[in-house]
Amino acid sequence: MDRREFLKRQARGALILSSGLAVTKIVSAAPDPDIAVVKGTPAAATRGAVELLGGIRKFVKPGNRVVIKPNMSFSVPPERASNTHPEVVRELVILCKEAGASKILVLDHTLASPDSCLDTSEIRPACDALGEKVVFAINRPEFYQEIDITGARDLHKTQIVKEALKADVLIAAPVAKSHSSTGVSLSMKGMMGLIWDRRIMHWQDLHTGIVDLCTQLKADLTVIDGSRVLSTNGPGGPGKVIRQDTIIASGDMVAADAYAVASFEWYGKRFKPRQVKHILEAHRRGLGRMDLENLNIHTLSL
Amino acid sequence: MRFQHFSRGFSLFIFLLLMIAAISGWLTSTPLNFFLRLDPALATTSVISGRYFLAAFIPALVVLLLTVLLGRFFCGHICPMGTTLDISDSLFCPSTRQAVNSAALRKIKYLLLFFLLFAALFGISLIFWATPLGLITRFYGLLIQPLLATLGSALLDAGHPFFEWLDISSLLFIDLQTPQFSTQLFILVFFIALAGFARLTPRFWCRYLCPAGALMALASAKPFVRRHVSDGCTQCGECVHSCPMSAIDAEDSQLTAFDECIVCLKCETVCPEGVVSFTTAGKDPAIKHTVLSISRRSFLSTAAVGSCTALIGQPDLNAATLPLRPPAAVPEASFLARCIRCGECMLACPTNTLQPVWLEAGFYGMFSPTLTPRIGFCDPNCHQCADVCPTDAIRALDPLERVWAKTGTATIAKDHCLAWEQQKNCMVCDEVCPFDAIEFASVDGNPVTVPFVREDRCAGCGYCEYHCPVKSPVAIAVSASGALRLSNRSYKDTAKKAGLHLSLDTSRQPSGAPESQYPGKKGGATGFDDESQDSVAPGFTE
Repeated sequence: MDRREFLKRQARGALILSSGLAVTKIVSAAPDPDIAVVKGTPAAATRGAVELLGGIRKFVKPGNRVVIKPNMSFSVPPERASNTHPEVVRELVILCKEAGASKILVLDHTLASPDSCLDTSEIRPACDALGEKVVFAINRPEFYQEIDITGARDLHKTQIVKEALKADVLIAAPVAKSHSSTGVSLSMKGMMGLIWDRRIMHWQDLHTGIVDLCTQLKADLTVIDGSRVLSTNGPGGPGKVIRQDTIIASGDMVAADAYAVASFEWYGKRFKPRQVKHILEAHRRGLGRMDLENLNIHTLSL
Repeated sequence: MRFQHFSRGFSLFIFLLLMIAAISGWLTSTPLNFFLRLDPALATTSVISGRYFLAAFIPALVVLLLTVLLGRFFCGHICPMGTTLDISDSLFCPSTRQAVNSAALRKIKYLLLFFLLFAALFGISLIFWATPLGLITRFYGLLIQPLLATLGSALLDAGHPFFEWLDISSLLFIDLQTPQFSTQLFILVFFIALAGFARLTPRFWCRYLCPAGALMALASAKPFVRRHVSDGCTQCGECVHSCPMSAIDAEDSQLTAFDECIVCLKCETVCPEGVVSFTTAGKDPAIKHTVLSISRRSFLSTAAVGSCTALIGQPDLNAATLPLRPPAAVPEASFLARCIRCGECMLACPTNTLQPVWLEAGFYGMFSPTLTPRIGFCDPNCHQCADVCPTDAIRALDPLERVWAKTGTATIAKDHCLAWEQQKNCMVCDEVCPFDAIEFASVDGNPVTVPFVREDRCAGCGYCEYHCPVKSPVAIAVSASGALRLSNRSYKDTAKKAGLHLSLDTSRQPSGAPESQYPGKKGGATGFDDESQDSVAPGFTE
């Protein structure tokens, strides 16, 4: 039994044994939660959170094409918390394989040199070790296709990576981090890693642009890596990194982002989801929900 | 196949292989600039103009010593420039042409060599105009390579729908860098001219112009192994006509100009009597060495012109106007004396930020490398430019030292900046800065936080300028001000003494830099809509 297998079993075992909720769910088929929050080691908690949410098969059907969008745009190691933890990404790839995905791609448009980002973040080595190559930088304009965003308020036109447009399932897998212009950079802000021209968004209202973009790139599943949180000086850091051992999963990217904003400390303070403009706007425009008090949230410690 | 065909082809193959390795970043520990180290004229002028000596120059010395024994074998068998010109010759020149054989023109290469040596004596290196290895490196690296890459890239794009149909992930995301370089047109015209001269005579460059050839010719007045014609020569003239250097006397084909002979062995091959050989035997008569026919007046005037050229045009070393040099480039005067403009650093640069300049660095700085952050950033973890530099104009540093090699400082143009001028939420410079040198603060009358550059943390890498969403003029630009240029001292120690805090610190906390002293910075988060006005969390709202 290898380490991965061990973790898997451990996660399953822990879920069934330690969680009354999970047991109840299995027995009584109670409705799946809106947000699942699991504390534990990155891989096990990732698996746990997805299980708690209803299992990967709820999101990925056999034969589906899956695009996973982590943060791997910075040439810094995992402990800097600017990139998603490699074990979180790898576990998601494993889950998608288990669900029978026909194609899995882990993509990001990197800010620094692609090879350096993919390797220093440890995401490419971690995922490629599973067998086939799935992790790619998308730093070439030909990989993109220009599309019109209907109903957009600012970003009416943008170039989105073709594979994301083709995908049946889009999984947002951001790390939880602060961002000097958007407060936080979570699943919604992270979608800027799937477009070609990000510069233009800074000319407009960035928050509105992000919501416009997410109407087009709406993640089917969001898994936020809060194993450690870059609480200050994000997105690039170095900043204050707080260990939280938490994975947040939701089918609603706004809800997942809202939960992450509310549950972690940012710049030494606590914020409400509505204090992040793009979360508030996404909620108002009906992209998702930030009213955590009305959502069904299941938490679990492994 | 004649031996020469093999030796030339093999040399060119290895030359191009090393270049491909330099471009792609393979084999970083091998001497990728090996061919540049073989050029004796380049080594000699560099030693004189730079007043230094490198172990890297030893191969050139060996070539020169071997020339005493073997004659100009380098020109006939190794030089990629000669081979390239021969190739263009066979492609574009009619085989029926009459060779223009001018004793007067032959002197040019010596005069050119003397000119370069005298300029070097006064600290000015102009060898870049005439070093065959440097020129040919530029030709393949800065002209042919981008051409092929662009072609390859177009093919990839054309093939993309097919790759999509195949649906193989690795094929879907193949990326091919397509670097472009300024001065490409000049290189093209220069080589068209050289190839065009070959219509007058084969090996026009090697016969009349090449200063490296001249230096080796000086060493091969009567090489140990040389052309020998034994009895039985019928004076049929086959060898005279076939000699690419016209090194055989037209009247008496037993007479050889050993200084001109490139040991290509063609005369041996074509001789119908089989009486030509290259041996150590015999008292072979030689044609008088060309250099001896140069008048004292010509020599002195060339020496004077070389010296004066160096003296009148000392480069402008005003730091404010200097171009951005690659990280760990030695001080500007030494840099220009050492840099041979071969373009190795530019072709090895993975982000294409290194570009040749025209006159930005003065007349004597032409074609020297500069960082152009708008084209690419300078990765602080990369020092390939130094690894391939043949003359130590860019010092190779330990990675821990490399981080401290400050190339310049970024400055914000407030009237163009989206945050300062248009009050927009843009913190791209802060987002991308690997040195954490951008700080944000609130200023009165602006609802968004605005960027400041912390000069002590800025390494001049240009990530900010490259990613800045404001195009021309860019709202944050790197200038050479504050660049560290050291000949031998430690970058780390010097930078620390100068109060710099350059760090790619991977620790969880920012390194021990002092807290911000900028006005308006009240401490706290940025980007949040804040609930309390006295502390700023960036990006959050009320």
